Amino acid sequence: MTTPGGAPRAVLFIAALAITFLALPVLALLQRAPWSSLLNLLTRQEVIDALGVSVVVSLVAAGIVLVLGTPLAWVLVRVNMPLRRLIRALVLLPMVLPPVVGGTALLFALGRRGLVGQWLERWFDVTLPFTTAGAVVAATFVALPFYVVTVEGALRTNSDHLEQLAATLGASPISVFRRVTLPQLMPAMAAGMALAWARALGEFGATITFAGNLPGRTRTLPLATFEALESDPEAAIALSLVLLAVSLAVLVPTRDRWIPTR
Amino acid sequence: MKTHFNGILTVFLFISLILWFTQRTNPDSTLDIRVFTASSLSDVIKDLADEWTNGSETSVELVIGGSNHLAAQLRDGAPADVFLTADGNLLTDLRSQGLLSDGLVEAVAHNYLVVAQPISGPDRHPSTLYDPSLILVTCAPGVPCGDATITRFADLPVDSHEPSARAVVARLALDEADLGVVYATDVVAHPDLIQAWPQENTCPCVAYSAAGMSPTGDKFVKFLSSVQAQQILSAHGFTLEPS
Repeated sequence: MTTPGGAPRAVLFIAALAITFLALPVLALLQRAPWSSLLNLLTRQEVIDALGVSVVVSLVAAGIVLVLGTPLAWVLVRVNMPLRRLIRALVLLPMVLPPVVGGTALLFALGRRGLVGQWLERWFDVTLPFTTAGAVVAATFVALPFYVVTVEGALRTNSDHLEQLAATLGASPISVFRRVTLPQLMPAMAAGMALAWARALGEFGATITFAGNLPGRTRTLPLATFEALESDPEAAIALSLVLLAVSLAVLVPTRDRWIPTR
Repeated sequence: MKTHFNGILTVFLFISLILWFTQRTNPDSTLDIRVFTASSLSDVIKDLADEWTNGSETSVELVIGGSNHLAAQLRDGAPADVFLTADGNLLTDLRSQGLLSDGLVEAVAHNYLVVAQPISGPDRHPSTLYDPSLILVTCAPGVPCGDATITRFADLPVDSHEPSARAVVARLALDEADLGVVYATDVVAHPDLIQAWPQENTCPCVAYSAAGMSPTGDKFVKFLSSVQAQQILSAHGFTLEPS
């Protein structure tokens, strides 16, 4: 509030409207929460199982996103290749695709009878659906674009003259990438990781379609929430509060630290 | 600038007013009937609705979904004339909240659980149901087909709890699962599915009830017990009385 006189009223009003719009559902959720029985609901075995699966799946997915996404973002910005526009659109596709469709597409690709999945089964005896690894695949698929877009944006704003400078001083391409590009990118990578991780944590549609739903194996917090909504709405609200708390605990500090705020 | 903003605000208010008005008037048009239907009836209800509109001037609007979700919508005030569900507890619950008024409630049909497999799969026999190396999917506990599955079969090595019998059918149709517990009517309806081995229709089974929530709804509930309606139901594999 440094410029109360200078801020246009209409802008302030609309911004306030937007904040209300986002905060209202959260407040409504808190208002309906069964506070007195919360501890009881949250220490149930099925909740602990779901939390465990969620933590493992979202963290592994975030790790894979980091490893796959960083080179991808770099290539998209710095390498002049054919079909770059098309590839860029492809990278964004999981953001637009309804997750249930994404999960079905993953089944067609990596399922037991899928394009690649049938060979995975025949050669390596690996089937991804109905396994924790399958849940990781689903989460990675939907989370990857969030990371790539964030890192791509940062790469585009950083000019590449430091990289060129290092190259003229005799550094090999891989050491330029490791010692010049990556350190500059750290803040964006952390922000992208936080976003991708949050998306992986909340992932529902692709997971239930591709990986199924089994306690302790593929049933993540969102799946447990959906199932509880059918039979025990209070437990569903309690589960949502866990998701809310976990994501706030991670996103509030990372956002302040990595996305420049004044 | 300011007039511009006022213009937007006026348009916004105008649209809200129209929406509010249509919301208010729609339930009053008595010619229409809105039927909330459990998803396991989604095929047969379309034929039943066609038969109903044939003989009368009303048109039928179908709202198809999981019983629990539909009941939650009804509790939140969604306008409906008929609720068709396999979960009798939901009807008791709705009645206790005064949502069924004095509407008619009638048993409509029964459905049985069967173990099914993809038509392309190898021959199975009853003991394969407990083979942990096969992929077995069932409905999740808490939905009617899932509760019935648990009552019927104990300790199955399940690989996935699906949100509905339809979802189990999809797993089998895609050949992603070896065995699945579905409704007998699902096997009748889907050419990609067969019974894994010959099975008798036995209970525990699922009984569908229809509850009228308005005078027109009551008429529809009565129609469901008519000869024509029961013929349609049995053509889809439902039975009238539990055997």
